[in-house]
Amino acid sequence: MNLPWITTANTRYLTRLWLLSAASVLSACQPQLPETVRSGLVYCSEGSPESFNPQLVTSGTTIDAISQQLYDRLLDIAPGSGELLPGLALSWQVSDDGLVYQFTLRPDVQFHHTEYFTPSRPLSADDVVFTFNRIMLTEHPFHAQGGANYPFFQSVDWAGLVKSVTAPSRTQVRFTLSRPDSSFLSNLATDFAAILSAEYGQQLQASGNLSRLDSHPIGTGPFRFREYQKDVLIRYYRHRHYWRELAKPEQLVFDIVPNNARRMAKLFTHECDVVAFPRVAELSLISQRPDVDVQESTSMNVGFWAFNTAKAPFNNVKVRQALALAINREAILQAVYFGHATAANSVLPPTSWAYNPNLSAQQFDPIRARQLLTEAGYADGFSMDIWAMPVQRLYNPNALKMAELMQADLAQIGVRASIVSYEWNSFRRKLGANEHDSVLIGWSADNADPDNFFRPLLSCSAAQTGTNRANWCDENFDRFIAQALLTADQKQRRSYYMAAQQYLSEQMPLLPIAHSQRFQAINSTIKGIQINPYGGIALANATKDIK
Amino acid sequence: MILYLLRRLVLLAFVFIALSILAFSLGYLFPGEPWQNFSGLRSASSEQLAQLTTLYRLDQGYIAQYLAYLTRIFSGDWGLSFASQQPLLQEMLTLLPATLELAAYALFISFFIGIPIGIIAAVKPDGVLSKLISAIAVTGYSIPVFWWALLLIMLFSLGLGWLPTAGRIGVLYEVNHVTGFMLLDILLSDSHHQQEALINALRHLLLPTLVLATFPTTVMIRFTRDSMLDVWEQSYIKTARAKGLNRGQVLYRHGLRNALLPVIRQIGLQFSTLITLAMITEVIFSWPGIGRWLIDSIYQRNYPAIQAGLLVISTLVISVNMLTEILHTLFNPLARKR
Amino acid sequence: MAKFRLLPDEYLARSPLTQLWREFSRQHSAIAGLILFSGFFLLALLSPLITPHDPYLQNDALLLLPPSWSELGLVQYPFGTDDLGRDMFSRLLVGARYTFGIAMITVLGALIMGLLLGTLAGMSRGVKSSVFNHVLDLALTIPSLLLAIIIVAILGPGLLNTTWAIMLALLPQFVHGIRNAIAEQLNQDYVIAYRLDGANNWQVFSRIVLPNIWERLTLMATMALSTAILDIAALGFLGLGAQAPTAEWGAIIADSLDLIYVAPVGVAIPGLLIFLAVLSVNLVGDGLRAAAKKRREN
Repeated sequence: MNLPWITTANTRYLTRLWLLSAASVLSACQPQLPETVRSGLVYCSEGSPESFNPQLVTSGTTIDAISQQLYDRLLDIAPGSGELLPGLALSWQVSDDGLVYQFTLRPDVQFHHTEYFTPSRPLSADDVVFTFNRIMLTEHPFHAQGGANYPFFQSVDWAGLVKSVTAPSRTQVRFTLSRPDSSFLSNLATDFAAILSAEYGQQLQASGNLSRLDSHPIGTGPFRFREYQKDVLIRYYRHRHYWRELAKPEQLVFDIVPNNARRMAKLFTHECDVVAFPRVAELSLISQRPDVDVQESTSMNVGFWAFNTAKAPFNNVKVRQALALAINREAILQAVYFGHATAANSVLPPTSWAYNPNLSAQQFDPIRARQLLTEAGYADGFSMDIWAMPVQRLYNPNALKMAELMQADLAQIGVRASIVSYEWNSFRRKLGANEHDSVLIGWSADNADPDNFFRPLLSCSAAQTGTNRANWCDENFDRFIAQALLTADQKQRRSYYMAAQQYLSEQMPLLPIAHSQRFQAINSTIKGIQINPYGGIALANATKDIK
Repeated sequence: MILYLLRRLVLLAFVFIALSILAFSLGYLFPGEPWQNFSGLRSASSEQLAQLTTLYRLDQGYIAQYLAYLTRIFSGDWGLSFASQQPLLQEMLTLLPATLELAAYALFISFFIGIPIGIIAAVKPDGVLSKLISAIAVTGYSIPVFWWALLLIMLFSLGLGWLPTAGRIGVLYEVNHVTGFMLLDILLSDSHHQQEALINALRHLLLPTLVLATFPTTVMIRFTRDSMLDVWEQSYIKTARAKGLNRGQVLYRHGLRNALLPVIRQIGLQFSTLITLAMITEVIFSWPGIGRWLIDSIYQRNYPAIQAGLLVISTLVISVNMLTEILHTLFNPLARKR
Repeated sequence: MAKFRLLPDEYLARSPLTQLWREFSRQHSAIAGLILFSGFFLLALLSPLITPHDPYLQNDALLLLPPSWSELGLVQYPFGTDDLGRDMFSRLLVGARYTFGIAMITVLGALIMGLLLGTLAGMSRGVKSSVFNHVLDLALTIPSLLLAIIIVAILGPGLLNTTWAIMLALLPQFVHGIRNAIAEQLNQDYVIAYRLDGANNWQVFSRIVLPNIWERLTLMATMALSTAILDIAALGFLGLGAQAPTAEWGAIIADSLDLIYVAPVGVAIPGLLIFLAVLSVNLVGDGLRAAAKKRREN
């Protein structure tokens, strides 16, 4: 067996050959290429977006594709420090009691001009009021669109927190809260809090096409929407009246390639300029290529194994602990993450300021696990399902593989696990209906606030909206995280979060598995792409360096 | 001849009725409620449900339901796709041209390469060239299409970097959907960069066509060769040679026409296999055709789509089958008698 | 040229089977195919006994081991290990059971069912036969993959369900072929003569029809076998057939596709095996066809 692509000598030769031919082709065709193609950027993403309105979603794939490209937020997060920066809001004041937030908007911010909408005025306070009222007011004409489901905002209890959003003047927006909330500003800076156009909303209302607000988006971001073909591509063009520096690429295409190997292939053949989530297994291989750069950044995320705590036997804490003890996480880190992740002891990554360093590391102890099972009354084990998500995510690059490893581990303690997987949309729907026994899934943070890991994942309100995969509702835990929000003092908040983490590691509604690094492979001619540790990716400043 | 055509049409109608019954019964056989599988709605209010029940006559017997189903099919109401909630018929009409384009080019290749090579192989059946052709042919129809596709991608796309790996055209080229046939659409567009787009589309087309054409071409080579050899044994050929015609004349006047008759039929019979292969090829090359869509549908448990896909693809295959059979009869008066 | 002899010579005195074998064994390619075919057949039968490792045992210490011809490989793992540390060689050996073995069983099943239905159809006439014929025509037009998709949609994915699908997809051609072959036989003069001797349907079938069509049956079966292997592998590759961790060759390719740059062996070798298996079947089939033709000519 001497296949041409196996030996490195051959690869090197082929690469050289290929570079030569590519160079000649490039130099020959370059001047004739249309501008939209020449400066166009192709981002190969791992899945289709669920909507074009970030308010309605939580999935990282959708956020990456729409949030930073189409919209702006009142506030932005500095990628390095996690500090809040002015976005559409130039400045803001907080009242002394922490209940009233007043924002001054940036003047002359233009909405997108597209084939389906021509704005007649720049951004005003009405747009901000329209945007947030949609989430909280049931009488808002758009509230019920898409099933009245605003997962992120519901998980942070937005409707309960914000009493009203008003516009004292065209450039002033006032948020009145019902209680102080130290995570409020951070939440406004998340990718979910994108600002929509009220004028577009009125136009749609007049024509009766309410659903188009979420499928044919209008925002103020660096790119405007052009077309979307499900499972094929999303096409954006440059927003010519953007208030910041204009986007460098004339055209931005999200090429939807769910398969890893195919995405890598497209990177190597230069069909893709940027590739989301290269396989960690191949990182060393990729970095050897002269035409590809690998970017690495720490990311706030956690991959975990959540038990459906509303179902027997997972409502028994001993069973949950036993299952957690039975899993060999070292093997998982090697086989699934290829060493590019750290073992997780808490849902919170160690880089967060609220991380509890005193937590004892999760043990691998099948003997103790068997004892616990016997104590819980399952001496002979039981049968269960492990739901493995069919897509790869930062926090879990291969859930099916992980499930196969865990299946073998669980067999050691007499638990017969079968692996269940559906196509991603059905999977999420069935998960939302809590049909699972246990699931391998995870979470990527949207902002630097630790609350972003607790409330959307494990609170009672999240259990109702269906983002709490452990289906876990515990008064004690909810009390910890609620108290942490009431105070602005970071020391005090930390002590609450520490206690919450301690409580979680005892109750084990989910087993945290790993915090992984985020990687991105880009064509080395592309410059100016930054990975944001808190969610979405910004592509507006990407330039192709063509010689 | 007219009588023959009429008989064929009656047969065609019969087959279509059987097909529609099969598609209709799938609504019941698939998991989920029949109204879900027929309408493509995942959930419905009690009001909607009542409306659907009347529309689909779910409260009546199977025959009434089937007739209602037939009426809907003919009026173009094929229900929605579970996955996208778009009307299925429209969705398929945009996808079908991509599959047809691919299958048509593959068929052309198999025709224009397979038949001449088959004839060459038949000229000297024991020669080295003929042996070589036979060896290539048996390799060609033994190779699993998905593996073959991967090998070609490995070599031409990743190894040599000559050709792209997926899609119909570079994603940065925006081509308006007019006919759905990519090359035609590019020619119809009034862009200044028609030529670049055309070259780009051709580069995308090359590998999938090559992969898809492999099986039919090799089958065609073998079939033509066998058919030629069979005809060569016939007495009328011997008569013609005895009359003093040279080999070339005999081949051209008597051999080819008779040898190619069964080949025409073969196209119809191979079409079903071709569609199966096209589905796999589409998956590997991310070709946005109906085959890839159907396979995605099964991952998504998109039952209305599978039902509709069955109707469209089978209709396509049956029509091609029938067409080649009629063509065959047209060229072969002997077959009309039967 | 016709030859006239008063007495049958040595060659013609032999049984048809011996004649067939004689013609068959003259073709090198056919013999090579037969050897390969027997190899796969034995492998499918005996593979669990000869695998050096448990094909499903995950070994955390040996993930993605390169094949033994590479410097980093181990002799004990000739083709290396996959990303769960399972021995690739053992998995491929066992894979013969699924891809090749199940294809054999599928074809056998379709053959038996086809024989039953084809005989019924061939022996009967009139409207019944015509309706039956048209249903068959319909079944023939549905592409096998589409049929498999429909069955998977009804029953869910899995090797067993796709086996049914492939069996069903193969069935029409068997029925068609057998029906035509039987009809052809029934029109022969010797059948009429035998009937005049007072033979009933069963006697006609078992004494005359069957011995005269078995050659065609074998040919049909080899053609169906190559289709069945390709279909099982393709369905496994698409994730509709054999499910993880089953070591079916197509499924192994799909599994290894993710790691094609790191471990191309996982795609190259199972694909090669599928190819060789189909090739062996086709070579045997072609050889048989050529031999049968030669035998009849003599």
